[in-house]
Amino acid sequence: MKRRLFIASSLGVLGLTGCTTSFKDALTQGPFRNVLTSVENLNHAVIGTRGSARLYTEADVDRDFRTNGLDTPSDSTYAGLAKDGWSRYKLVVDGLADHPQALSLAALRALPLQTQITRHDCVEGWSAIGKWRGVRLADVLAMARPKAGARYAIFSCFDRDEQGTYYYESLDLTQAAHPQTLLALDLNDAPLDNDHGAPVRLRIPTQLGYKSAKWVSRIELASTFAGAGGGKGGYWEDQGYEWYAGI
Amino acid sequence: MGNPVTGKRVYRHSIAARASHWLWTLAMLVLVMSGLQIFNAAPYLDASDKSNPAKRVLIIGASESAADPQRVTGLTKILGHTFTTTGALGYTDDGMGGKAERAFPGWATLPGEQDLADGRRWHLFFGWILTLAIVVYLVAGAVRKDLRDLVLRPSDVPKLLPMQLYYLRLRKEPPPHGTYNPLQKAAYTVVLFVFVPLIIVTGLALSPGIDAIASPLTALLGGRQFARLWHFSLMVLLIGYFLTHMVLVFATGPWNNIRSMITGFYILGDHEGVGP
Repeated sequence: MKRRLFIASSLGVLGLTGCTTSFKDALTQGPFRNVLTSVENLNHAVIGTRGSARLYTEADVDRDFRTNGLDTPSDSTYAGLAKDGWSRYKLVVDGLADHPQALSLAALRALPLQTQITRHDCVEGWSAIGKWRGVRLADVLAMARPKAGARYAIFSCFDRDEQGTYYYESLDLTQAAHPQTLLALDLNDAPLDNDHGAPVRLRIPTQLGYKSAKWVSRIELASTFAGAGGGKGGYWEDQGYEWYAGI
Repeated sequence: MGNPVTGKRVYRHSIAARASHWLWTLAMLVLVMSGLQIFNAAPYLDASDKSNPAKRVLIIGASESAADPQRVTGLTKILGHTFTTTGALGYTDDGMGGKAERAFPGWATLPGEQDLADGRRWHLFFGWILTLAIVVYLVAGAVRKDLRDLVLRPSDVPKLLPMQLYYLRLRKEPPPHGTYNPLQKAAYTVVLFVFVPLIIVTGLALSPGIDAIASPLTALLGGRQFARLWHFSLMVLLIGYFLTHMVLVFATGPWNNIRSMITGFYILGDHEGVGP
């Protein structure tokens, strides 16, 4: 009896190591997947948006800041706006808002600017340090006066992948209100270049890099992000990555 | 030798100890395999806070032959020394029946094919399982006072060398000891109280949300990339421990050892006793 138990458990371990692909198919769909992914809520509850990202000094800055992900948008709207030096660019803030906004870069730069030298942590495992300057997302959202039912800010972006799927992201209003969550306008003392998300990108030093969406065109305040994109709250989230990216 | 307790059947492992032992065995297996999956997304380790190619201590990559792009060589560079590791590291099976430029092969990663998102899901889930299993083991061990027999004490230190000499067959008998011999105690103590806590802490330290809450912790480890290097190194140490553990389980009466971790009962052999 005990021997049989031992043989059965040995076979279980062999199965686990030997055929990970079929093992994955069996276990990463259906109920087990829900168990596996539910830990994200636990991590969100435990870590949350407490604390502040460590601040670095000028000496730590990567002058040649690494880029990743999708290329500079090939979108014709984006190219047209870039060609005119962003003079026609307007950041739209709408949705569940009492005072929807359409803010020019000049209007954004007229707001209080924050400079932060923080580390960008990519989900792949690398990190780089940049000197970011921009406006606090909280200030911009406050201008739009979110309605009582607003719980999320959904960010639309200019870039899309080979299949034509647009990049988007979303934050809850707690993360949006974090004092280090910026709409960045400058990187390393120069306006963002097209590869780094010009003219406006998110900068969230307390979560992984994919949350810091580049090329932001619109912020929609909403009660849920289920209606945006693939419904998981972001381009990478739709491909299986965690919506809460603090870990 | 006339050991009066030889052959005596003793209850060695509590149900909590046995359950948590097998649970963390499973957790470790999943964590190593999903960890290698995660490593593959950035197959290098830097001894620095942010990424810095000048401080790279390990790179697992591949190089395509200029004459024949189909001919790919897997290359592993450790502390400046490059080794050809085609098939094992750098250019390996892609987990889908083909070959690909990826650091660790499909058979060693979870999932088998390149899938960082799912690798992270597995890793973060079983990180909790490992933590839970270790806490259960330590709490149960403390309550039942089993840990007293297992933890290395200052009085065990002089017995370490004689025990090693016994293992090397340079000494006829082991030094007198209780439930575990002094080398076992040293290994278990280091694994339970140093390696496992540190691998959990170093893993946490490389997360931006944890760094924001506990910046001094990440800074103490040398920063995020350094934390990643420690985390990986501790995995190597724990795999080394696991292999040693396997050799000794099988060299010292495999059935008695394995059964004791299933039923709890262990039959004492020559030189073996109970207690601290």
